[in-house]
Amino acid sequence: MTGEGLAGEHAGYKMPLSNLLHMNVGQALAMDSAMVIAISERPFNSRRGRRMRSSRFSANGANAQLRPMFVQTLGDEDTRRDRMDMGLGVWNENMQKYYPVAVLREKGNYLLDEINGQKLLVFLDPLTSTPTALYWDTDDVTIDGRNIALSNGFTIQYGQIYNSGGDLVAVEKPQQIFTRWYGFSLSFPNPDIFE
Amino acid sequence: MQQTQRRLGLYFTVSSALVLLFSQNTFSATADTFDINRYSTLGAGMFETFYVEQTQTLQRALEHELVSADTSLLVTNTAEGNLALIRDQMSFHHIAQGKANGLEWMATF
Repeated sequence: MTGEGLAGEHAGYKMPLSNLLHMNVGQALAMDSAMVIAISERPFNSRRGRRMRSSRFSANGANAQLRPMFVQTLGDEDTRRDRMDMGLGVWNENMQKYYPVAVLREKGNYLLDEINGQKLLVFLDPLTSTPTALYWDTDDVTIDGRNIALSNGFTIQYGQIYNSGGDLVAVEKPQQIFTRWYGFSLSFPNPDIFE
Repeated sequence: MQQTQRRLGLYFTVSSALVLLFSQNTFSATADTFDINRYSTLGAGMFETFYVEQTQTLQRALEHELVSADTSLLVTNTAEGNLALIRDQMSFHHIAQGKANGLEWMATF
């Protein structure tokens, strides 16, 4: 998650990171019509809703659990949240913060925050139900079906921000990961939690 | 690359080009603070890394009904631009890696 080699000949060295963002095909094409895809030989469900059958150990299960063989690798856990709680972890060189999905839902599927003086909008995407964070200053957020209306005529459609004229607006996103609490808190000890 | 992956198990990175820089980060688990006793080989072989050798445009994959408009993806950026991976497949592979414009990249999920 941090890109740093923790043991072995590359211990202490770090790879530069980029985000791994959740979206669907329609959103991906709205983001970049020239995007390429790599598909492995592994069977998969091409349509949302036709999910593969999940067990209690699968990532998709509502009551997912971590296999005991992995639990023993966790070390000392941060118990402020449940181990399998899901949220969006955001970090940079100066901060690490966890935005629980449950808190996002309680607050109407979006929240506004500030990181290092930059306004941050965190929202649950209406199409994929996954959280996304982007640097954006807005006084108003109205979620209407698949679209999100922001101040001054800006909207979020298919995960992208458009101005009132319908033009795509480039937006900066912080480093982020949609993750379980144990993964984020073990990688970034004692992170802040948005509550 | 495979050797590095085996040594570090699931504790590596999100997605990146393999350009190694010495870390100055003091806010995350580091080589200095990581307890190597946490490392385990019990899960070795349980998942298969996806070694990416071929890609196609997402538009083509959609037109050929290899994916649908609402197929869930994971999107990252390599030295050749945006790259999509199938989320369901990555739930099994957990790691995908390849080379773009001469730079190694790796994505973990």
